[in-house]
Formats: sequence, structure tokens, C-alpha cells
Amino acid sequence: MWRAVFASLIMVPALWGLAGAAQTASDFFGAALPANPHATEATSIGSATCVACHSVEKTRFAHTQHERAFKAGALSGAGGGSGDHTCETCHGPGSAHAANPADAGSIIRFTSGSATPVAVQNATCIGCHEAGARQHWLGSVHEARGLACSDCHNPMARTSPEGLLAKHSINEVCSTCHQDVRAKFNRRSHMPLPEGQMSCADCHNPHGTLTRPLLKTDSVNTTCYACHAEKRGPFLFEHAPARGNCLNCHDPHGSNQQTLLAMPLPMLCQQCHTMTRHPNDLQTRGGLGGFSADERLMGRSCLTCHSNVHGSNNPSGARYHK
Amino acid sequence: MSKSSLVCLCIGSMVLPLAAGAADPSNSGRITDLHFGNALDLRGWGVALDLPAQDGMSLLHPDMLRTPSGALYPYPGEPLAMQQADNGWLYSGSFGGGYATTFGDDDSLWFNQYSDWGDDFIAQFSFNMEHPETGRFAEFRGTHQNEHNQFYRLRAGQAGRYRVEAFYRDVPHLISTNARPIWNGVGTQALTLPAGLPPGASTVAQVTAASLAATRRTLRVDRTRAGVSIEGELSRRFTGYASLANEQREGTRLWGGSMFFAFIPGTGGVNETVRPIDFSTTDTALGLRYVGEVWRANVSYAGSFFRNRKDRLDYESPFTLTTVLGPAVPPAGVISHGQFSLEPDNDYHNLRIELSRQLGWNGTLSLTASGATMRQNDDLLAPVTCTGIGGIFIAPGVDYTFNCADWNTPAALSQRTADARIDTQMVDLRAVFRPTSSFGWRASLRHYEEDNKTDYLAYNPLTGQYGYISENGSQGSVVPGETGIFDPGNPLYASYVVPIRNVPFEYTQTTAELGADWWLGRHSFGATYSFDRNEPEHRERTRIDEQRLMLSWLYRLRTGGTLRLSYEIADRTGDAYNHDPYHAFKSISLPGFVMPPGGLTAHTTSAMRKYDLSDRRQEKVRAIMIHPVGLAATVSATVYGNYNDYDAAIGRRGTWTTGGTLQWDYQPTEKTTLNAYLGYDYSHLRIANVADDEGNLGPDPSLGGPVYPLANRWTEDDREDSYNAGLSLRQVFGQQVLDIGYSFVYTQGEIGYDYDSLGAVAGTQQGLGGLIGNGFPANYYRLHALDAGLSTRLGERWTARLSARYELGRFSDFHYMGFADQLVYAHRVYTDVGPTRRYDAGMVALMFNYQL
Repeated sequence: MWRAVFASLIMVPALWGLAGAAQTASDFFGAALPANPHATEATSIGSATCVACHSVEKTRFAHTQHERAFKAGALSGAGGGSGDHTCETCHGPGSAHAANPADAGSIIRFTSGSATPVAVQNATCIGCHEAGARQHWLGSVHEARGLACSDCHNPMARTSPEGLLAKHSINEVCSTCHQDVRAKFNRRSHMPLPEGQMSCADCHNPHGTLTRPLLKTDSVNTTCYACHAEKRGPFLFEHAPARGNCLNCHDPHGSNQQTLLAMPLPMLCQQCHTMTRHPNDLQTRGGLGGFSADERLMGRSCLTCHSNVHGSNNPSGARYHK
Repeated sequence: MSKSSLVCLCIGSMVLPLAAGAADPSNSGRITDLHFGNALDLRGWGVALDLPAQDGMSLLHPDMLRTPSGALYPYPGEPLAMQQADNGWLYSGSFGGGYATTFGDDDSLWFNQYSDWGDDFIAQFSFNMEHPETGRFAEFRGTHQNEHNQFYRLRAGQAGRYRVEAFYRDVPHLISTNARPIWNGVGTQALTLPAGLPPGASTVAQVTAASLAATRRTLRVDRTRAGVSIEGELSRRFTGYASLANEQREGTRLWGGSMFFAFIPGTGGVNETVRPIDFSTTDTALGLRYVGEVWRANVSYAGSFFRNRKDRLDYESPFTLTTVLGPAVPPAGVISHGQFSLEPDNDYHNLRIELSRQLGWNGTLSLTASGATMRQNDDLLAPVTCTGIGGIFIAPGVDYTFNCADWNTPAALSQRTADARIDTQMVDLRAVFRPTSSFGWRASLRHYEEDNKTDYLAYNPLTGQYGYISENGSQGSVVPGETGIFDPGNPLYASYVVPIRNVPFEYTQTTAELGADWWLGRHSFGATYSFDRNEPEHRERTRIDEQRLMLSWLYRLRTGGTLRLSYEIADRTGDAYNHDPYHAFKSISLPGFVMPPGGLTAHTTSAMRKYDLSDRRQEKVRAIMIHPVGLAATVSATVYGNYNDYDAAIGRRGTWTTGGTLQWDYQPTEKTTLNAYLGYDYSHLRIANVADDEGNLGPDPSLGGPVYPLANRWTEDDREDSYNAGLSLRQVFGQQVLDIGYSFVYTQGEIGYDYDSLGAVAGTQQGLGGLIGNGFPANYYRLHALDAGLSTRLGERWTARLSARYELGRFSDFHYMGFADQLVYAHRVYTDVGPTRRYDAGMVALMFNYQL
């Protein structure tokens, strides 16, 4: 632990100094103004004109990371000295809107009721926020289902510690639509989202990935191993369903059983283990403590003996006893 | 991509490690460490007095706007006033300290699981600074709940240019607050029995007395994670990033320890032990991103290095073993020492290249290639730790004993280290085109492969025997001959079917997908067809194909809301199902194996279908609606269903999940926010199994045959109901903010079972008559939680916050039935009494904050 802390203390100032040696300005400033398909003839009017009416918006915007980038760019002259077009960099040329503010399509808007197609809204954001974590946005399930960047983000005000989110936290944003998933996190066993220790985005990249559930890695297991590296092995003796897919036995969003198990033990194991002798017996309430106790049912059930169920590295561990 | 770009890419890849050495960048692309918070500060913002901005978001519309899908944006808060320093920097911050105390049943597991409340000094701070002229900024925030539950996060950089981050966090996880291990040395690699409990020679009464005298303990695992990262522009087109993080995970968990079955009365021994956790994992990432007019590229390396400082667990078992032959034929020796190999160290490397090219028709073509390897080469432990003689001596010529000295040394292994390795490769090619504003299509082809290179032969060069001594030597000391070995030179062991090799499970998966989307006014439609082929090695099937059709419909309501519907139907089939594909890994594959009279006993029934391989028909439906109500309220709802029908006479037969949620959000002014929600979920899972007729074992695997008679078939149903409800209110009174929240969770699970004859029932329970019943006692988990907080201004710079949480919980899990009274049941000793059955507990915290 202390090595990591020490490294952090040493590295951060060093990195800051190294990276800070370059004194260029934001790329946002000087970005091409997006075309508004509903006001193709509109021309730029500059932010000062916008602020004449939208003064409160400017105040809220002043506390965002966006403002920081634009301001730095403007002061460094990265925009080519053509004036401050901060507002129009996202909203498009403003002359049509200034002439007729009631025309919903006169400006690129990012909120409900906007006349601007969601695809155009998103293309405006992607214009600067391209590639990286958003390289696979196009074609992703969220894109295909018509989500807008501003469904999850509010670029105009800071209401979250990071990420200019549309709610106060990542988890609150996701649960706007995925309410049933949020409910599962309230179950008996869950990962510590309700306790504020992690977020949906620790495993999922909502901006699109190469997997259908928007996982950040190539497979379910690789995602799980990011935190549970001890399960990665490889082990001398692998357990096929564990190596194949952690979700064969676990529900990562929450479970009514112990340790996120998808169903109670020993039922979980007995879905597959019909082998002769002890695995395939029907366990009944008579096998509980207080009756005719049976270790195949009580406590941690099968795992009391087959404890290394995720794989064993013991030469005598083919059945995970060791 | 131009030549110069490629050169820059290569040079950048080489230089970056020297220039940086840490970081990751892409925010949502990063795995873990995206959110910092804890129970005291759920959102991780550390705002002491979160007053709303007085004039909302706009003079033109005093109410809040909605997202394109129709949800309300929250009112922004009033940020802390920035102070200006002489050098042009602006800064703001707040620092706070206080005390938290608990009351009631505050040692309850559910109250503490990830919260770890206690009587502790608490602290919180948030410090921000920025330099408008250069865009430089720094943010430092943290919350200390206690030494096991805290975070500190620093972000600094120059807007649009570079960013460095560093963090430190402690995350608690309580496993049990009511554990009563009988062993000494909990938390170490060696569990020894206390005085008065001789290993392998204790009576049940002695073990019971030791259990009753055992001290109540808390088992927990604490994570400490720290890391640094950097992301920065190397040039107009290139961005580099790197990160380094280390996690220490320490504590204890419940574990096991078998000395063969205890359900054969008086024979074996079952121990619920405690294992140590002492992990260290170092993660690193390094990458380079290129963004051009036409090309985008991302080249990244990720490494993860896991180290386990306690990679074994030795334990003493108190129970006296006896053979199934009765007292007249005792075990040849005393088997009392067990051992586990715990997780080995491992290294992981992943190299990934993503290339995208912009095409005509508003299209993108992407190619991603990823290769990874996970490896470990830990020293292997000896097959057993026993000393002396094990097994059973019946008579001269019927000698099932073994000499522990032949097996309790690494010299008994065919190789001294694991030399385990799995490589993975992934290639993904996808094209997305949006040629018009009303139509788009997409296609992808993905190939993923896991190659398991581990090759281990269980062969003892000291004895010339194959296999291993089973269950620390206990199995062969209870059941004559079930030592776990195959010996072609010894008639006693020439017909035993035992594992002699590892099974290198691996698979290849190929997925092709074709989809189209239409946007027609307020409606949009999507249709996607996918074909997935999975080709596992050494499994019951060598090919599984799944076809899937996914349909979606989005309707943008005239009220500004949205309705999203989706439906999926999938059909999974495959090649012939081989119920026993493991012969190559068992002694039957070795020369010298003598087929037993009557043939091999069936490994399992041929009617079995493992659910990850079986034929399956799946349907899913989901509806999500967000419906604005007036200017200040939103009603949202989710309804869903998920149906799976498995073609299995034995195995998982079907699942059915359905449920819905309803939420109401109301924020009439910036001073009032009210939210309420309801939720219900029902799931039903069905399995079938068949008990073998142990008096009639033979080679016939068929269901309905002599080994697996239909009369012994049984079925089981798991039905779970989950209810959720919650209400929260936030009200601002001048310079005071009141937060109140209530949540309710109730889940109930019931397992019912059915059988045709007592032959299906475990032998331990066949004589219980009516006690067998037709279901287990219901499991339930019920929690009422009330949160309240009051923040107030005490002066120009001082604020105070009083917060409290109260929980009232009930819990029952049949697995722990009777454990509150006793943890020893014949030759079984348990450690965990189980989670708290009923509790009420609370926490009160008071914190004072000073604003700069």
C-alpha cells in the first residue's frame, strides 16, 4: 500500500510538471461551428449577443469544465482571434435564433422538445468528444435506441462532482431508465453501489463498446477479474462454468442469495451435477440443522467441501476440495 | 493515416512510458475507480451546505428543462464563492470535521456490510482552484468515515490539454459479524485446534464445548487502493495516457475443510474454517490515441499483477474418522490435517489496437484486435500433508493403505510448478452507416478465442501411480479403495476411475450481427439479427449456435417524454450432446486400466443438459417510459419479462422473470424535490434431477434405466418475490436544507420440491416421514431504512450538518436454521452463525464545516 502511496506522491507532481510544460490551449475553442439543419443560412453572432438574454445560463456554465476549456482557449487566442463563440460551438450559428427565438429549430437545442434531431445533437458533442471511450458510440445500443448525450449529461451546469452529469451521480443517471437494476442493488447481496463505493460505469461504458451489455473488456470474466484478480488464475484445475462465464452462477446486479448467487445452494449446483452418488440426492427441509443434518444443505452447502469452486491450484484439487 | 502519423504513433508508444508512467484517461473507458464515495458521502462531492442556485438555470424559463427523453434536470446548486489569489488563481474550498456514533444492534451484518458504521471522528474536505488564463485547475476532495472507509481524490491539469489524477481509498466489506471459529490462528495460514481438542481424535461433545466457548468474531475484508494516472495531448492529433494503481486486500473469509462426508454417520468430518485474505494487485495501463479527420486509433496496453501473500491454508480437523466397515475395521492411521491451495499469483497482459475509419454515407468502419495472456507458475503443494499411514487395511492382499511419505512431498508430483496459461484473442470488425437522417444500418463480425495451455498430469513418480490422495487422505480412510489413485500394477487400483489430468477448458466464439434503424418522425424502429457460434473444448457439446432477433421501438411522446419498447427472441441449438466427455482426463484413458466386471458405472445420466450448453428458447420484452406531468413532475415506469425454456429433462428446465417499477419525481421549485418509487420483481426457476439407485449402480446412463430410475426423479422450483419502495424529500428553508429519505425492501424466496418416491430423497432424510414436506422454509430479507439530514448555516463561513440513519431489518435463511443455538452437528462444525436475524440500529453524525 505504502509503495503505491509513495509512488503517487512522487509521480503526480512530476507528471504535472512534465505535462504542464506544454502551454497550448483547449481544442474546444476554435472548433468548427456545427451546422444546424433547420437554420442553414444562420451565421455566427458571438457569445456576447447570446449572453444578453442567457445571462443565468452563462453563470451556471461558468462552473463547468466546459467553460474552463473555452476560457483558456479564448485567452490563448486559439480561436484565431475571431472572437468568443463559446455558445455557438455547441448550439450552432445564432443569427436565426436571435432573429426569431420562438422558432424551436433556429438553434441547436439539446433538451426535450428540441427540433434538432438527436443524431445532430449527438454529432455536435462527438465533434469534440470523438474517439477514446466514445469510439464505438455509433451503432451502440444506446445510440440505436435514440439516446442523446444530454440524456445523461448536462453540459450547462455542474450538478455532479465529475462528468457534467444530468443527475448528481453516475448511478442516479443510469437508474433514470434502468430502475429495475437499481432495485436489484437493494437486495441482500449486492456490490456496494448503494453505499457509494462504486458506480455502474465501473463495469459498463455507456458510450458504446464491443459487447452487447456495454462491458469495458472483451468478456464478462475479464471485466470481473478487474476487481477479482484472484479468480483469474489460470488454475491447475478449472471449473468449466466459472471459466466460461461468471454469470453462469452469479448475478452481478444483486441477489437474494449469498455472494450474488443466481439461486439458492445446493439448487445452483444441482442444475448440472447429477453425477452418481452424493450430488444428485434431493435435499429437503429434513436435512436442515435441528432435523437430520446434512452438510450438503447447511451453511455454505456444497461450498463447505468444494470451497475452491472457482478453480484449484492444488494437485489434489480436481474436485475443488483442496 | 499518414506515414508521419504512424511514426508518431510508434515513437509515442515508446516515449510515453518514460515521460509518464501513469494514467488512464478516457473516463468512461476506464475500468473501476470512476466513482469515489462512501456511506457518509454517497455522491462523493463533499458539499457541506448544498443550497440551490437562487435563479435556477435561466431567466427565460424558471422551471427546469428536461432531457431529450423527458426526465427533469435537477436544479443546480450554488457553488462555493471563489477567492482570488495574487497570482491569478481562483480557489474555493471547505473543510469539515465531526463525530459519528451508532446505537442499537450496531454489530449487525446488514447494517455494516459495506458501510462499516462506528463511533468515529469523521472529516470531509473539498478544495478547488483554477487559473482562468491558462485553464489550469486542481480539485482535491475526500471523506474520512473511519480508517477502513475513506477516499481522497486529486485531479489537476490544464483544460483541454492534460489531466493528472491520484487517489487513495479504503473500502470495507464485512463478511460476518457473528463468526465463532473454534481454531486458533484465524487470519493466518495455519488453523490449529485449541488445547483439549486433539486433531483427529476429538469427540463430538468436545467439539461442541469448544464451539460454545468460541469467541464471537467479525470476519471482514478491507480494500486499500491507490493510484495515479495521466492523460495528455502529445500533439494536435495524439493523446497519450497511462495509469498505475495498487490494491491491497486483507482480512478473512469463511471457507471450508472436508474430511469426507459426515452424512454417513460417524465416518468423516466437515469443517467450516476461516481463510486469510492477503492480496496485492497492481494494475497498469498505457495507451496512445489518435484522432484524425478520417482515421481514429487507440493502442493500449493493460497489465494486472496479482500476488497472494498467503497462498495456502492448513487446518486441523478435530473429528475421528471411522470406516464404513464399522469399528471392526478402523482406519490405518489418523488423518487430521487438511490443506487448501489458495489463489496463486498471476500476471495478465493485454494489448489492444482499435482502428476506425470514417467512410461515405456517414459511415464508420472499425477493426479491433486484442490479445491477452494470463499466466501463473506457482509452486505446487504436495498432494497431502498427512504423516504415517493412511487408508484402510482389511486383510493381507486387501490392503488399501498408503504411505503418506510417498505423497506429502513435492517429489510426488509430475511437475513442481503449475505452468498454467490461458491466452485470448479477439478480432472485431464492424461497420455502421447512417446514410440518411431516417435510415441506418450496421453489421459486425466478432471472433473471440480462449486457448488454455495448461497441461498437468497427476502422476506420482515415487509410486508410479496416477491420480492423487483424495480429500487429505480421508476418503480412502473411510471407504476402502477410494484412495483416489489408479495403479495399473496393483489389481486393487487397476479399475478405479480417477482424474489424472487437468481439463483445459477453452472455447471459440464467433458472432455476426446485422441491424438496421429507421427514424420516422416521432417514431424510430430498430431490428437486429445476430448469429452466435460457440465452440467449447472438452465440454458436453462442441458446437452451440444461437440465433437472435431483436426489435425495438422508440416513440417520442407529444408531452416531451419517451416510450421505449424492445423485444428479443432467441433460439439456441447445437450438435449432439455427450453427457460424459471427460474420459481423456480420467484413468480409464490410461494403458493398464482394467474394465470392472459389469462395466463402468455411469458418470451421470444421459438425460442431463447443462444449462450453458442446452437447447434454449428465450424471449425478452422490456418497456421504459418517461412521461412528463406538467412542468415540474415526471412519471417513469419500467415493465419487463424474461422467459427461458430449456430443452432438458434433467437440469435447468426454465426461468421466468417479470416485474415493473414506477417512479414519480417532483421538483416544483429549486427549494423542493420529492421522489417516490415502487418496484416489484418475480422470478421463477425450475430444475429437475434424478437420484441414482446406489444399490444398483451400472453403466446404463439413461433416465428410466436401472441406475437412474424414473421413480427417483425429482423437481425443484425456486420462486422469489422482491418488493421495493422509497420516498425522498429535500426541502430548503432559507439557509437550511432538510433531507429525508425512506426505503423499503422485502424479498421472499421459496423453494418447493416434488418427488415420486423416497429413492429421490437424500438417505439422511428418507426416514423422516412427514418432516420431509414439499418445500424449504421461506427465506426473506426485509429492511426499512430511514435517512435524515439537516444542514444549516452557522455564520458567514461556518455550516453544520446533522445526519442520521436508522435501519430496522428482519432476515431468515434456511441454510442457517438452528445455528443460533448450535454450530456442531455430529461430525460437522460450522463457524458462521449467519447474518443477523432481526435488528434495529442507527447512526447519528454531526459535522461542522468551514468555508474558505
